[in-house]
Amino acid sequence: MSTPSALPTLLSTTVRRSLVVGRVSLAISCFMVVIYSAGFGFGGGVLISIGAYILPIFSVAGGIGGALVYSNDRLKGVLEYVVAYGIRPGRLLVNAVVASAVQVTIILGLGIGAGVATYRLSGHPFVPALDLVLLGYTVPMSYLSAALMTTVGVYWTSLASPRSGMNSPLGVLPMIGLVPTGAVLILALAAPPAHAAQLVAAAELAIFIVLMVLWTRSERFMPTERLLSPG
Amino acid sequence: MTAGSGPDTPPALETGASYLACRGVDSGYRDRPVLHGVSFSIDRPAIYVVLGPNGAGKTTLFRTVAGILRPTAGEVFVGGAPIDRQSSRDQMHYLSHMDGMPDGLTVREGLEFYASIERATPADVDRVLDQLEIRPLADSYISKLSAGQRKRVSIARIFLVERSIYLLDEPTANLDPKVAREIRALILKLSQDRVVLYSSHNLFEAREIGQYVLALKEGRLTLFDRMENLRGTHFIIGVRTLEPAAALAQWERRGDYYLKEISGPDQVPGLIQELEREGVRLREVREMENPLEELFT
Repeated sequence: MSTPSALPTLLSTTVRRSLVVGRVSLAISCFMVVIYSAGFGFGGGVLISIGAYILPIFSVAGGIGGALVYSNDRLKGVLEYVVAYGIRPGRLLVNAVVASAVQVTIILGLGIGAGVATYRLSGHPFVPALDLVLLGYTVPMSYLSAALMTTVGVYWTSLASPRSGMNSPLGVLPMIGLVPTGAVLILALAAPPAHAAQLVAAAELAIFIVLMVLWTRSERFMPTERLLSPG
Repeated sequence: MTAGSGPDTPPALETGASYLACRGVDSGYRDRPVLHGVSFSIDRPAIYVVLGPNGAGKTTLFRTVAGILRPTAGEVFVGGAPIDRQSSRDQMHYLSHMDGMPDGLTVREGLEFYASIERATPADVDRVLDQLEIRPLADSYISKLSAGQRKRVSIARIFLVERSIYLLDEPTANLDPKVAREIRALILKLSQDRVVLYSSHNLFEAREIGQYVLALKEGRLTLFDRMENLRGTHFIIGVRTLEPAAALAQWERRGDYYLKEISGPDQVPGLIQELEREGVRLREVREMENPLEELFT
Protein backbone atom coordinates (compact mmCIF):
# COMPACT_ATOMS: atom_id res chain seq x y z
CA MET A 1 0.00 0.00 0.00
CA SER A 2 1.34 3.40 -0.96
CA THR A 3 2.43 5.96 1.57
CA PRO A 4 0.70 9.32 1.87
CA SER A 5 2.47 12.44 0.66
CA ALA A 6 1.68 16.11 0.20
CA LEU A 7 -0.95 16.93 -2.39
CA PRO A 8 -0.01 19.25 -5.25
CA THR A 9 -1.53 22.73 -5.30
CA LEU A 10 -2.36 22.56 -9.04
CA LEU A 11 -1.65 26.30 -9.09
CA SER A 12 0.71 26.45 -12.05
CA THR A 13 -1.52 24.12 -14.08
CA THR A 14 -4.56 26.26 -13.29
CA VAL A 15 -2.75 29.43 -14.32
CA ARG A 16 -1.61 27.85 -17.58
CA ARG A 17 -5.07 26.47 -18.31
CA SER A 18 -6.71 29.82 -17.55
CA LEU A 19 -4.48 31.42 -20.18
CA VAL A 20 -5.63 28.81 -22.71
CA VAL A 21 -9.31 28.68 -21.78
CA GLY A 22 -9.60 32.45 -21.35
CA ARG A 23 -7.38 33.29 -24.31
CA VAL A 24 -10.08 35.01 -26.37
CA SER A 25 -11.13 37.50 -23.71
CA LEU A 26 -7.51 37.97 -22.69
CA ALA A 27 -6.36 38.60 -26.25
CA ILE A 28 -9.19 41.06 -26.93
CA SER A 29 -8.49 42.89 -23.67
CA CYS A 30 -4.76 43.05 -24.37
CA PHE A 31 -5.35 44.36 -27.88
CA MET A 32 -7.86 46.95 -26.73
CA VAL A 33 -5.83 48.10 -23.76
CA VAL A 34 -2.71 48.64 -25.87
CA ILE A 35 -4.64 50.64 -28.48
CA TYR A 36 -6.49 52.75 -25.89
CA SER A 37 -3.46 53.32 -23.66
CA ALA A 38 -1.25 54.25 -26.58
CA GLY A 39 -3.93 56.62 -27.85
CA PHE A 40 -4.38 58.27 -24.49
CA GLY A 41 -0.60 58.40 -24.05
CA PHE A 42 -0.16 60.35 -27.24
CA GLY A 43 -2.94 62.68 -26.16
CA GLY A 44 -1.12 63.39 -22.89
CA GLY A 45 -2.42 65.50 -20.02
CA VAL A 46 -5.95 64.70 -18.97
CA LEU A 47 -6.30 61.96 -21.55
CA ILE A 48 -3.61 59.75 -20.01
CA SER A 49 -5.43 59.99 -16.68
CA ILE A 50 -8.69 58.93 -18.36
CA GLY A 51 -6.82 55.97 -19.77
CA ALA A 52 -5.64 55.05 -16.27
CA TYR A 53 -9.21 55.29 -14.98
CA ILE A 54 -10.67 52.94 -17.58
CA LEU A 55 -7.85 50.41 -17.48
CA PRO A 56 -9.53 48.29 -14.72
CA ILE A 57 -12.45 47.69 -17.10
CA PHE A 58 -10.12 45.82 -19.44
CA SER A 59 -8.54 44.02 -16.50
CA VAL A 60 -11.94 42.71 -15.43
CA ALA A 61 -12.92 41.70 -18.95
CA GLY A 62 -9.67 39.89 -19.58
CA GLY A 63 -9.23 38.37 -16.14
CA ILE A 64 -12.12 35.94 -16.37
CA GLY A 65 -9.94 32.90 -17.16
CA GLY A 66 -9.71 31.68 -13.57
CA ALA A 67 -13.48 31.52 -13.21
CA LEU A 68 -13.77 29.96 -16.68
CA VAL A 69 -11.46 27.10 -15.73
CA TYR A 70 -13.40 26.47 -12.54
CA SER A 71 -16.74 26.52 -14.32
CA ASN A 72 -15.48 24.20 -17.08
CA ASP A 73 -14.03 21.81 -14.53
CA ARG A 74 -17.33 21.60 -12.74
CA LEU A 75 -19.23 20.93 -15.95
CA LYS A 76 -16.78 18.27 -17.11
CA GLY A 77 -16.60 16.46 -13.77
CA VAL A 78 -12.96 17.39 -13.12
CA LEU A 79 -13.77 18.84 -9.70
CA GLU A 80 -15.22 15.49 -8.62
CA TYR A 81 -11.86 13.83 -9.29
CA VAL A 82 -9.85 16.58 -7.71
CA VAL A 83 -11.97 16.41 -4.55
CA ALA A 84 -11.68 12.61 -4.57
CA TYR A 85 -7.91 12.98 -4.43
CA GLY A 86 -8.30 15.05 -1.28
CA ILE A 87 -7.82 18.57 -2.63
CA ARG A 88 -10.01 21.01 -0.72
CA PRO A 89 -12.45 23.35 -2.49
CA GLY A 90 -10.78 26.38 -0.89
CA ARG A 91 -7.59 25.51 -2.74
CA LEU A 92 -9.50 25.62 -6.02
CA LEU A 93 -10.76 29.12 -5.18
CA VAL A 94 -7.24 30.32 -4.45
CA ASN A 95 -6.05 28.87 -7.75
CA ALA A 96 -8.82 30.61 -9.69
CA VAL A 97 -8.13 33.97 -8.03
CA VAL A 98 -4.38 33.72 -8.61
CA ALA A 99 -4.95 32.70 -12.25
CA SER A 100 -7.14 35.75 -12.69
CA ALA A 101 -4.49 37.94 -11.05
CA VAL A 102 -1.89 36.67 -13.51
CA GLN A 103 -4.11 37.72 -16.41
CA VAL A 104 -4.69 41.10 -14.81
CA THR A 105 -0.92 41.51 -14.47
CA ILE A 106 -0.48 40.87 -18.19
CA ILE A 107 -3.18 43.40 -19.10
CA LEU A 108 -1.89 46.01 -16.64
CA GLY A 109 1.67 45.52 -17.80
CA LEU A 110 0.70 46.03 -21.42
CA GLY A 111 -1.68 48.88 -20.70
CA ILE A 112 0.56 50.88 -18.36
CA GLY A 113 3.62 50.10 -20.45
CA ALA A 114 2.00 51.24 -23.70
CA GLY A 115 0.41 54.28 -22.10
CA VAL A 116 3.46 55.54 -20.24
CA ALA A 117 5.83 54.76 -23.11
CA THR A 118 3.77 56.68 -25.69
CA TYR A 119 3.17 59.48 -23.18
CA ARG A 120 6.89 59.96 -22.57
CA LEU A 121 7.87 59.40 -26.20
CA SER A 122 5.42 62.11 -27.18
CA GLY A 123 7.42 64.49 -25.03
CA HIS A 124 4.81 65.02 -22.35
CA PRO A 125 6.15 66.06 -18.95
CA PHE A 126 6.12 63.73 -15.97
CA VAL A 127 3.00 64.31 -13.83
CA PRO A 128 3.08 63.06 -10.21
CA ALA A 129 -0.72 62.87 -10.19
CA LEU A 130 -0.51 60.13 -12.80
CA ASP A 131 1.50 57.97 -10.39
CA LEU A 132 -1.16 58.54 -7.78
CA VAL A 133 -3.94 57.46 -10.14
CA LEU A 134 -2.04 54.39 -11.27
CA LEU A 135 -0.93 53.25 -7.82
CA GLY A 136 -3.98 54.45 -5.93
CA TYR A 137 -6.73 53.42 -8.31
CA THR A 138 -5.75 51.61 -11.52
CA VAL A 139 -3.59 48.84 -10.09
CA PRO A 140 -5.46 48.05 -6.83
CA MET A 141 -8.90 48.31 -8.44
CA SER A 142 -7.85 46.05 -11.29
CA TYR A 143 -6.76 43.30 -8.90
CA LEU A 144 -9.61 43.82 -6.42
CA SER A 145 -12.32 43.88 -9.08
CA ALA A 146 -10.96 40.81 -10.84
CA ALA A 147 -10.61 38.99 -7.52
CA LEU A 148 -14.17 39.89 -6.53
CA MET A 149 -15.47 38.82 -9.94
CA THR A 150 -13.62 35.49 -9.75
CA THR A 151 -14.69 34.81 -6.17
CA VAL A 152 -18.34 35.56 -6.90
CA GLY A 153 -18.09 33.54 -10.10
CA VAL A 154 -16.63 30.51 -8.32
CA TYR A 155 -19.23 30.65 -5.54
CA TRP A 156 -22.11 31.26 -7.92
CA THR A 157 -20.96 28.43 -10.20
CA SER A 158 -20.70 26.15 -7.18
CA LEU A 159 -24.18 26.92 -5.88
CA ALA A 160 -26.04 27.14 -9.20
CA SER A 161 -27.12 24.23 -11.37
CA PRO A 162 -24.45 23.43 -13.95
CA ARG A 163 -24.96 25.53 -17.07
CA SER A 164 -22.63 26.51 -19.83
CA GLY A 165 -21.97 29.57 -21.98
CA MET A 166 -23.79 32.86 -21.61
CA ASN A 167 -26.56 31.09 -19.73
CA SER A 168 -24.12 30.35 -16.91
CA PRO A 169 -23.06 32.77 -14.16
CA LEU A 170 -20.04 33.51 -16.32
CA GLY A 171 -22.28 35.37 -18.72
CA VAL A 172 -22.85 38.21 -16.27
CA LEU A 173 -19.62 37.92 -14.34
CA PRO A 174 -17.81 40.87 -15.96
CA MET A 175 -20.71 43.07 -14.87
CA ILE A 176 -20.09 42.04 -11.29
CA GLY A 177 -16.44 42.96 -11.66
CA LEU A 178 -17.34 46.32 -13.14
CA VAL A 179 -19.67 47.35 -10.29
CA PRO A 180 -16.93 48.15 -7.73
CA THR A 181 -14.73 49.66 -10.43
CA GLY A 182 -17.49 52.00 -11.52
CA ALA A 183 -18.61 52.79 -7.98
CA VAL A 184 -15.12 53.74 -6.82
CA LEU A 185 -14.53 55.76 -9.98
CA ILE A 186 -17.73 57.74 -9.41
CA LEU A 187 -16.71 58.22 -5.79
CA ALA A 188 -13.30 59.49 -6.87
CA LEU A 189 -14.75 61.93 -9.38
CA ALA A 190 -17.57 63.14 -7.14
CA ALA A 191 -15.49 63.60 -4.00
CA PRO A 192 -13.78 66.91 -3.18
CA PRO A 193 -10.30 66.72 -4.77
CA ALA A 194 -8.63 67.11 -1.38
CA HIS A 195 -10.28 63.95 -0.03
CA ALA A 196 -10.62 61.87 -3.20
CA ALA A 197 -7.49 59.82 -2.59
CA GLN A 198 -8.49 58.95 0.99
CA LEU A 199 -12.03 58.03 -0.06
CA VAL A 200 -10.77 55.80 -2.85
CA ALA A 201 -8.34 54.12 -0.46
CA ALA A 202 -11.15 53.58 2.06
CA ALA A 203 -13.39 52.09 -0.64
CA GLU A 204 -10.61 49.77 -1.76
CA LEU A 205 -10.01 48.69 1.81
CA ALA A 206 -13.74 47.96 2.15
CA ILE A 207 -13.67 45.80 -1.00
CA PHE A 208 -10.60 44.00 0.32
CA ILE A 209 -12.37 43.30 3.63
CA VAL A 210 -15.41 41.97 1.73
CA LEU A 211 -13.06 39.70 -0.21
CA MET A 212 -11.38 38.45 2.96
CA VAL A 213 -14.76 37.67 4.51
CA LEU A 214 -15.87 35.85 1.35
CA TRP A 215 -12.64 33.85 1.23
CA THR A 216 -13.06 32.66 4.80
CA ARG A 217 -16.49 31.27 3.84
CA SER A 218 -15.29 29.05 1.02
CA GLU A 219 -16.46 25.85 2.75
CA ARG A 220 -19.94 27.34 3.02
CA PHE A 221 -20.16 28.61 -0.54
CA MET A 222 -18.42 25.60 -2.09
CA PRO A 223 -20.06 22.58 -0.44
CA THR A 224 -18.46 19.44 -1.81
CA GLU A 225 -21.71 17.91 -2.97
CA ARG A 226 -22.37 20.94 -5.19
CA LEU A 227 -19.07 20.42 -7.01
CA LEU A 228 -20.02 16.96 -8.25
CA SER A 229 -21.13 16.12 -11.76
CA PRO A 230 -24.84 15.44 -12.28
CA GLY A 231 -25.68 11.96 -11.01
CA MET B 1 -23.03 -7.92 4.90
CA THR B 2 -20.04 -10.01 3.88
CA ALA B 3 -19.52 -11.56 0.50
CA GLY B 4 -20.85 -15.08 0.16
CA SER B 5 -22.19 -16.26 3.44
CA GLY B 6 -22.21 -19.84 2.13
CA PRO B 7 -19.45 -22.40 1.71
CA ASP B 8 -17.70 -20.29 -0.95
CA THR B 9 -16.94 -17.50 1.49
CA PRO B 10 -13.40 -16.26 0.72
CA PRO B 11 -10.88 -16.22 3.53
CA ALA B 12 -10.38 -12.92 5.34
CA LEU B 13 -7.08 -11.07 5.06
CA GLU B 14 -4.44 -12.42 7.37
CA THR B 15 -4.06 -9.01 8.93
CA GLY B 16 -7.72 -9.04 9.88
CA ALA B 17 -8.27 -5.71 8.11
CA SER B 18 -10.53 -5.80 5.07
CA TYR B 19 -9.59 -3.94 1.91
CA LEU B 20 -12.78 -1.95 2.08
CA ALA B 21 -15.58 -1.89 4.61
CA CYS B 22 -18.77 0.08 5.04
CA ARG B 23 -20.45 -0.11 8.43
CA GLY B 24 -24.01 1.15 8.68
CA VAL B 25 -23.41 3.91 6.15
CA ASP B 26 -26.12 6.50 5.55
CA SER B 27 -25.13 8.97 2.87
CA GLY B 28 -26.50 11.30 0.25
CA TYR B 29 -27.01 14.95 -0.41
CA ARG B 30 -28.14 17.81 1.78
CA ASP B 31 -31.75 17.62 0.70
CA ARG B 32 -31.79 14.01 -0.44
CA PRO B 33 -30.59 11.06 1.65
CA VAL B 34 -29.76 8.18 -0.69
CA LEU B 35 -27.96 5.34 1.10
CA HIS B 36 -29.50 3.77 4.17
CA GLY B 37 -27.53 1.52 6.51
CA VAL B 38 -25.21 0.08 3.89
CA SER B 39 -22.80 -2.45 5.39
CA PHE B 40 -20.37 -4.74 3.64
CA SER B 41 -16.82 -5.88 3.89
CA ILE B 42 -14.50 -6.72 1.02
CA ASP B 43 -11.76 -9.05 2.14
CA ARG B 44 -10.14 -10.30 -1.04
CA PRO B 45 -9.04 -8.98 -4.44
CA ALA B 46 -11.69 -9.51 -7.09
CA ILE B 47 -14.14 -7.61 -9.27
CA TYR B 48 -17.26 -6.64 -7.35
CA VAL B 49 -20.04 -5.55 -9.69
CA VAL B 50 -22.50 -3.04 -8.27
CA LEU B 51 -25.93 -3.40 -9.83
CA GLY B 52 -29.20 -1.65 -9.33
CA PRO B 53 -31.82 0.39 -11.15
CA ASN B 54 -31.33 4.08 -11.83
CA GLY B 55 -31.54 6.02 -8.59
CA ALA B 56 -30.67 3.01 -6.44
CA GLY B 57 -27.61 4.79 -5.07
CA LYS B 58 -24.72 3.29 -7.05
CA THR B 59 -23.00 6.60 -7.81
CA THR B 60 -23.63 7.81 -4.26
CA LEU B 61 -22.05 4.61 -2.94
CA PHE B 62 -18.96 5.16 -5.09
CA ARG B 63 -18.70 8.79 -4.02
CA THR B 64 -19.06 7.86 -0.38
CA VAL B 65 -16.49 5.08 -0.57
CA ALA B 66 -14.15 7.45 -2.44
CA GLY B 67 -14.41 9.94 0.42
CA ILE B 68 -16.09 12.62 -1.67
CA LEU B 69 -19.36 12.46 0.24
CA ARG B 70 -19.15 12.21 3.99
CA PRO B 71 -21.54 9.63 5.51
CA THR B 72 -24.23 11.14 7.72
CA ALA B 73 -24.07 7.93 9.76
CA GLY B 74 -21.75 4.95 9.86
CA GLU B 75 -18.17 4.72 8.66
CA VAL B 76 -16.10 3.70 5.66
CA PHE B 77 -12.76 1.98 6.24
CA VAL B 78 -9.94 1.35 3.81
CA GLY B 79 -7.39 -1.19 4.97
CA GLY B 80 -8.81 -0.74 8.47
CA ALA B 81 -8.32 3.05 8.50
CA PRO B 82 -11.11 5.66 8.22
CA ILE B 83 -11.66 7.04 4.73
CA ASP B 84 -11.14 10.66 5.79
CA ARG B 85 -7.40 10.06 6.14
CA GLN B 86 -5.32 11.03 3.13
CA SER B 87 -3.49 7.71 3.44
CA SER B 88 -6.82 5.95 2.86
CA ARG B 89 -7.60 8.05 -0.20
CA ASP B 90 -4.16 7.25 -1.52
CA GLN B 91 -5.12 3.57 -1.70
CA MET B 92 -7.85 4.20 -4.23
CA HIS B 93 -8.48 5.15 -7.81
CA TYR B 94 -11.89 6.62 -8.60
CA LEU B 95 -13.38 6.76 -12.07
CA SER B 96 -16.68 8.60 -12.21
CA HIS B 97 -19.33 8.22 -14.90
CA MET B 98 -18.14 11.62 -16.21
CA ASP B 99 -14.84 11.56 -18.05
CA GLY B 100 -13.42 14.40 -15.96
CA MET B 101 -10.82 15.48 -18.49
CA PRO B 102 -9.87 19.16 -18.18
CA ASP B 103 -10.44 21.56 -21.06
CA GLY B 104 -7.66 23.67 -22.49
CA LEU B 105 -5.16 20.81 -22.47
CA THR B 106 -3.99 18.17 -24.89
CA VAL B 107 -4.40 14.50 -24.05
CA ARG B 108 -0.80 14.29 -22.88
CA GLU B 109 -1.19 17.45 -20.78
CA GLY B 110 -4.47 16.15 -19.35
CA LEU B 111 -2.76 12.97 -18.25
CA GLU B 112 0.13 15.00 -16.87
CA PHE B 113 -2.44 17.05 -14.93
CA TYR B 114 -3.60 13.89 -13.18
CA ALA B 115 -0.07 12.56 -13.00
CA SER B 116 0.84 15.62 -10.94
CA ILE B 117 -1.96 14.81 -8.49
CA GLU B 118 -1.05 11.14 -8.46
CA ARG B 119 2.69 11.81 -8.06
CA ALA B 120 3.26 9.86 -11.27
CA THR B 121 6.12 10.57 -13.65
CA PRO B 122 6.22 11.62 -17.33
CA ALA B 123 7.39 8.07 -18.03
CA ASP B 124 4.13 6.80 -16.52
CA VAL B 125 2.19 9.06 -18.89
CA ASP B 126 4.14 7.66 -21.84
CA ARG B 127 3.46 4.14 -20.64
CA VAL B 128 -0.33 4.58 -20.44
CA LEU B 129 -0.41 6.33 -23.83
CA ASP B 130 0.89 3.06 -25.26
CA GLN B 131 -1.04 0.79 -22.88
CA LEU B 132 -4.39 2.32 -23.83
CA GLU B 133 -3.31 2.81 -27.48
CA ILE B 134 -3.98 6.54 -27.37
CA ARG B 135 -0.55 7.78 -28.42
CA PRO B 136 -1.95 9.04 -31.77
CA LEU B 137 -4.23 11.32 -29.72
CA ALA B 138 -1.47 12.57 -27.42
CA ASP B 139 -1.21 16.02 -28.98
CA SER B 140 -4.92 16.46 -29.69
CA TYR B 141 -6.91 18.84 -27.53
CA ILE B 142 -9.27 16.97 -25.22
CA SER B 143 -12.15 19.21 -26.28
CA LYS B 144 -11.76 17.93 -29.85
CA LEU B 145 -12.10 14.23 -28.95
CA SER B 146 -15.19 12.09 -29.45
CA ALA B 147 -17.06 10.85 -26.37
CA GLY B 148 -15.50 7.40 -26.74
CA GLN B 149 -12.00 8.80 -27.11
CA ARG B 150 -12.47 10.99 -24.06
CA LYS B 151 -13.65 8.01 -22.05
CA ARG B 152 -10.63 6.02 -23.13
CA VAL B 153 -8.29 8.85 -22.13
CA SER B 154 -10.17 9.16 -18.86
CA ILE B 155 -9.68 5.46 -18.15
CA ALA B 156 -5.98 5.85 -18.87
CA ARG B 157 -5.71 7.89 -15.66
CA ILE B 158 -6.28 4.88 -13.46
CA PHE B 159 -3.27 3.15 -14.97
CA LEU B 160 -0.85 5.97 -14.13
CA VAL B 161 -0.02 4.52 -10.73
CA GLU B 162 -1.03 1.32 -9.00
CA ARG B 163 -3.55 1.35 -6.18
CA SER B 164 -5.10 -1.33 -3.99
CA ILE B 165 -8.70 -0.40 -4.74
CA TYR B 166 -10.33 0.73 -7.97
CA LEU B 167 -13.76 2.36 -7.92
CA LEU B 168 -15.04 2.32 -11.50
CA ASP B 169 -18.45 3.84 -12.12
CA GLU B 170 -19.63 2.66 -15.55
CA PRO B 171 -16.14 2.53 -17.06
CA THR B 172 -17.23 1.15 -20.43
CA ALA B 173 -20.21 3.43 -21.04
CA ASN B 174 -19.99 5.17 -24.47
CA LEU B 175 -17.26 2.84 -25.68
CA ASP B 176 -17.55 0.76 -28.81
CA PRO B 177 -17.64 -3.02 -28.20
CA LYS B 178 -14.02 -3.57 -29.26
CA VAL B 179 -12.62 -0.91 -26.94
CA ALA B 180 -14.98 -1.96 -24.15
CA ARG B 181 -13.66 -5.50 -24.46
CA GLU B 182 -10.07 -4.27 -24.30
CA ILE B 183 -10.83 -2.16 -21.25
CA ARG B 184 -12.51 -5.12 -19.55
CA ALA B 185 -9.42 -7.22 -20.27
CA LEU B 186 -7.23 -4.59 -18.62
CA ILE B 187 -9.54 -4.41 -15.64
CA LEU B 188 -9.60 -8.19 -15.34
CA LYS B 189 -5.81 -8.18 -15.26
CA LEU B 190 -5.93 -5.48 -12.57
CA SER B 191 -8.27 -7.47 -10.40
CA GLN B 192 -5.87 -10.36 -9.97
CA ASP B 193 -4.37 -8.72 -6.92
CA ARG B 194 -6.61 -5.69 -6.38
CA VAL B 195 -10.15 -4.86 -5.43
CA VAL B 196 -12.26 -3.48 -8.24
CA LEU B 197 -15.69 -2.07 -7.46
CA TYR B 198 -17.42 -1.84 -10.82
CA SER B 199 -20.84 -0.54 -11.78
CA SER B 200 -22.47 -1.22 -15.10
CA HIS B 201 -25.85 -1.29 -16.75
CA ASN B 202 -24.64 -3.95 -19.17
CA LEU B 203 -25.78 -7.20 -17.60
CA PHE B 204 -23.77 -9.38 -19.95
CA GLU B 205 -20.70 -7.38 -19.06
CA ALA B 206 -21.50 -7.64 -15.36
CA ARG B 207 -21.90 -11.37 -15.66
CA GLU B 208 -18.73 -11.71 -17.71
CA ILE B 209 -16.42 -9.64 -15.57
CA GLY B 210 -17.78 -9.85 -12.03
CA GLN B 211 -16.84 -12.44 -9.45
CA TYR B 212 -19.11 -10.88 -6.85
CA VAL B 213 -22.25 -8.85 -7.09
CA LEU B 214 -23.57 -6.11 -4.83
CA ALA B 215 -27.17 -5.19 -5.52
CA LEU B 216 -28.60 -1.87 -4.41
CA LYS B 217 -32.26 -1.03 -4.28
CA GLU B 218 -33.64 2.26 -2.99
CA GLY B 219 -30.37 2.97 -1.25
CA ARG B 220 -30.17 -0.34 0.59
CA LEU B 221 -27.80 -3.19 -0.08
CA THR B 222 -30.06 -6.10 -0.91
CA LEU B 223 -27.50 -8.65 -2.04
CA PHE B 224 -23.79 -9.29 -1.72
CA ASP B 225 -22.79 -12.66 -3.02
CA ARG B 226 -20.69 -14.60 -5.47
CA MET B 227 -21.96 -14.22 -9.00
CA GLU B 228 -22.43 -17.97 -9.45
CA ASN B 229 -24.59 -18.17 -6.35
CA LEU B 230 -27.30 -16.09 -7.96
CA ARG B 231 -30.60 -17.82 -8.49
CA GLY B 232 -31.66 -18.57 -12.06
CA THR B 233 -28.24 -18.65 -13.61
CA HIS B 234 -29.47 -19.29 -17.14
CA PHE B 235 -29.62 -16.84 -19.98
CA ILE B 236 -32.17 -16.87 -22.77
CA ILE B 237 -30.82 -16.03 -26.23
CA GLY B 238 -33.11 -14.99 -29.10
CA VAL B 239 -32.16 -15.90 -32.67
CA ARG B 240 -33.76 -14.27 -35.71
CA THR B 241 -33.13 -15.75 -39.15
CA LEU B 242 -33.35 -14.48 -42.72
CA GLU B 243 -35.47 -17.49 -43.72
CA PRO B 244 -37.21 -20.37 -41.88
CA ALA B 245 -34.64 -22.86 -40.60
CA ALA B 246 -35.34 -26.53 -40.11
CA ALA B 247 -32.51 -26.73 -37.58
CA LEU B 248 -34.50 -24.48 -35.26
CA ALA B 249 -37.80 -26.30 -35.60
CA GLN B 250 -37.63 -27.66 -32.08
CA TRP B 251 -36.74 -24.31 -30.50
CA GLU B 252 -39.32 -22.35 -28.59
CA ARG B 253 -40.68 -19.32 -30.48
CA ARG B 254 -41.39 -15.80 -29.21
CA GLY B 255 -42.52 -13.55 -32.05
CA ASP B 256 -39.81 -13.58 -34.71
CA TYR B 257 -37.28 -15.06 -32.33
CA TYR B 258 -36.24 -18.65 -31.70
CA LEU B 259 -35.29 -19.02 -28.04
CA LYS B 260 -32.39 -20.96 -26.58
CA GLU B 261 -31.37 -21.30 -22.96
CA ILE B 262 -27.62 -21.11 -22.30
CA SER B 263 -25.61 -21.05 -19.12
CA GLY B 264 -23.53 -17.98 -19.92
CA PRO B 265 -22.54 -15.42 -22.55
CA ASP B 266 -19.36 -17.33 -23.32
CA GLN B 267 -21.49 -19.95 -25.09
CA VAL B 268 -22.82 -17.50 -27.69
CA PRO B 269 -19.90 -17.63 -30.19
CA GLY B 270 -19.98 -21.45 -30.23
CA LEU B 271 -23.74 -21.44 -30.68
CA ILE B 272 -23.48 -19.09 -33.67
CA GLN B 273 -20.79 -21.25 -35.28
CA GLU B 274 -22.92 -24.35 -34.79
CA LEU B 275 -25.98 -22.72 -36.35
CA GLU B 276 -23.96 -21.49 -39.32
CA ARG B 277 -22.55 -25.00 -39.84
CA GLU B 278 -26.11 -26.25 -39.99
CA GLY B 279 -26.86 -23.72 -42.71
CA VAL B 280 -28.96 -21.32 -40.65
CA ARG B 281 -28.78 -17.79 -42.11
CA LEU B 282 -28.67 -15.57 -39.05
CA ARG B 283 -30.12 -12.09 -39.02
CA GLU B 284 -29.80 -11.30 -35.33
CA VAL B 285 -28.75 -12.87 -32.06
CA ARG B 286 -29.76 -11.05 -28.91
CA GLU B 287 -30.13 -11.44 -25.21
CA MET B 288 -33.76 -12.04 -24.23
CA GLU B 289 -33.43 -12.73 -20.52
CA ASN B 290 -30.55 -12.33 -18.10
CA PRO B 291 -30.63 -13.65 -14.53
CA LEU B 292 -29.23 -10.35 -13.27
CA GLU B 293 -32.34 -8.57 -14.53
CA GLU B 294 -34.19 -9.55 -11.40
CA LEU B 295 -31.81 -7.30 -9.44
CA PHE B 296 -33.21 -4.33 -11.34
CA THR B 297 -36.83 -5.01 -10.44
